[in-house]
Amino acid sequence: MTPASPGDSTRRSLGGNRPRPVEAINRLVHRVLMIGLAISATLLVAGLVVWAARGGLLPRSVTGPVQALRDIGGLRPVGFFSLGLLALILTPFARVAGSVVIFLREHDRRYATITAAVLAIMVASILLGRA
Amino acid sequence: MGLTFFLILLTAIVAGVFGSMLGIGGALILVPVITLFLGVPVKTAIGASIVSVIATSSAAQIGYIDRGITHTRLGMVLELATTLGAIAGGLTAVLVSPRALQGLFAAILLWAAWGMRRRRGGPESTGPTGLLDASYTDPADGRLVEYGVRRLPLGMALSFVAGNVSGLLGVGGGAVKMPVMNIIMRMPLKAAIATSNFTIGVTAATSAAIYFGRGYVDPKVAVPTALGILIGAPAGPRIAGRLPAEALRTIMVLALLAFAIQMVVKAAS
Repeated sequence: MTPASPGDSTRRSLGGNRPRPVEAINRLVHRVLMIGLAISATLLVAGLVVWAARGGLLPRSVTGPVQALRDIGGLRPVGFFSLGLLALILTPFARVAGSVVIFLREHDRRYATITAAVLAIMVASILLGRA
Repeated sequence: MGLTFFLILLTAIVAGVFGSMLGIGGALILVPVITLFLGVPVKTAIGASIVSVIATSSAAQIGYIDRGITHTRLGMVLELATTLGAIAGGLTAVLVSPRALQGLFAAILLWAAWGMRRRRGGPESTGPTGLLDASYTDPADGRLVEYGVRRLPLGMALSFVAGNVSGLLGVGGGAVKMPVMNIIMRMPLKAAIATSNFTIGVTAATSAAIYFGRGYVDPKVAVPTALGILIGAPAGPRIAGRLPAEALRTIMVLALLAFAIQMVVKAAS
């Protein structure tokens, strides 16, 4: 189930006789997704453990991040669930934001612009959705 | 309570495997099962389904990037078109009747199923084109597949439509994007699946953030969904990698037809 390191894939993907380093962007995407999912899964499982240990009904709605932290402090499952789901939702944002940084660092102006535009549209969508 | 939780978890595991294997997200299986059989209200189910798409996209992507199959750069170019389409869809949502949209979406899915079926037996790749050329080794037979992208402007226009429809209906971006990449842009099936999987997380994350902010995400449903997908989705890239492209194509055509039928039923009811 656990994939090998991304370094192996390029050797495979290029047929072995033409080794080329994995693109920095793929390494970054891989890393950001792993971290985001690990945080999310840990929080969700922790919430289940707390819920199983303390009993009671599952919460019906999520709370904001600040309240969620308070709930985690008070060992209330809703805090773990809210933050865990939020981590999952924010992972693609982190992936796009990280891509902008990588492309800027590589002086790849075209892709830095493209990914920055995607991030801007994502943020604008949320602001419009709230209005 | 405990039983429903467990059943949603099981459904999500299956949805995760299929969604990541086909690059279309897990909503196709998840939403009908949990609304029809597990009594989850439609609104809650949509919130959970958006969460499931993010989880499928992220978990599957780890496997596809490892296998070098995802075309990351093309994915980012298409994300630009899809996010624009989604924001436009959100703005015009009040102007279009949901029924007309579902009908339109069903028609697009039928076109996609027909187009995918027609291409069976043909070569997986039509070779490099000089535009965004890429390559990967097909894990099924160890062959190196080299390809380029064709008709990028049309592909982007249709990705805009895909974003538009998914922004309006809350589902289905991947079911349009995957076939567009394969049929229009002539990407090999597995690259199209991996890259479609890559892009769907972005639109879904945007919708999910809005849902989350409004408090529409119900942990009772969203938590077992997310966990189930995280368990199931990593298997998708392994299965998709090993299956011959033709078998994958057949499963895909059936899935698109099933999705189209769902949409027709919804539009008619």
